[in-house]
Amino acid sequence: MRPHKKYLMEICSKIDLDLNSSACSKLKSHLSKCPECAAYYDSLKRTIILYKNYKVKPSKSRVKQIMARLNIDSDIGKNKNR
Amino acid sequence: MNNMDREEQQLIRRAQNGDKRAFGKLVKNYEQLVYSFAFKICRDKEKADEVLQETFVNAYKGLKSFSGKSKFSTWLYRIVTNNCLMMHRKRSKEPVVSLDNTDFYQGTNELQIPHRGETPSDSVLNKELKKILDDAIRKLPVDYRIVFVMRDVEGLSTEEVGKALKLSTPAVKSRLHRARLFLRNELNKYFSE
Repeated sequence: MRPHKKYLMEICSKIDLDLNSSACSKLKSHLSKCPECAAYYDSLKRTIILYKNYKVKPSKSRVKQIMARLNIDSDIGKNKNR
Repeated sequence: MNNMDREEQQLIRRAQNGDKRAFGKLVKNYEQLVYSFAFKICRDKEKADEVLQETFVNAYKGLKSFSGKSKFSTWLYRIVTNNCLMMHRKRSKEPVVSLDNTDFYQGTNELQIPHRGETPSDSVLNKELKKILDDAIRKLPVDYRIVFVMRDVEGLSTEEVGKALKLSTPAVKSRLHRARLFLRNELNKYFSE
């Protein structure tokens, strides 16, 4: 069974909100009675969480290259205690 | 305004007045944010690296035009976004997909992604999962991809996204909705095969 078409957009627009908030009371009530829409809600939330949790490894620092391109001498990051 | 904001404001002012060391500090403070965002849009380390460098070159040249009315990061996001778009137009071989007639519902209701800890090797799953996430988001048209990454991944508010991209709030919301539903449908295709 498919989720209810009229709730698809509402699910998407309120996915960031706390389901227990007053703005979501109607949606929460519907989700508690409709397993298809509840599953769709969950799948959308999980999609967003997956991308949020996709960590990007930091790149090597490019400060020196950037400053060199700009013809700027930079001793940012150099150890001054020699 | 907290101490960090005050410090940053001073740094920006000094950089605008020609203090190169101050600009270098700004680069150091923001390079990971810019790189991370560029990678999440371009999905390629080499392109992200190029965008990172171009962004700070552009920022240096245009620094005097930064008025301080928005956050510095918002201003940087605008520059890095433009560079990502230029990179995409120059180098992308991705097919153009229109979201105009997106069927907002496709596939099964449940996202069939295996839960962590239920497979023999989490590291293998993570690598595979990352590839699936990369493949799915690469199919998302870049204009939608940018809104999705800014709003849902980077956590900017709808208003901040609008300011960075010069879009109205309804336009941001519309692109965001379509992006979310597209990605959800794409992931469903992978995981229900």
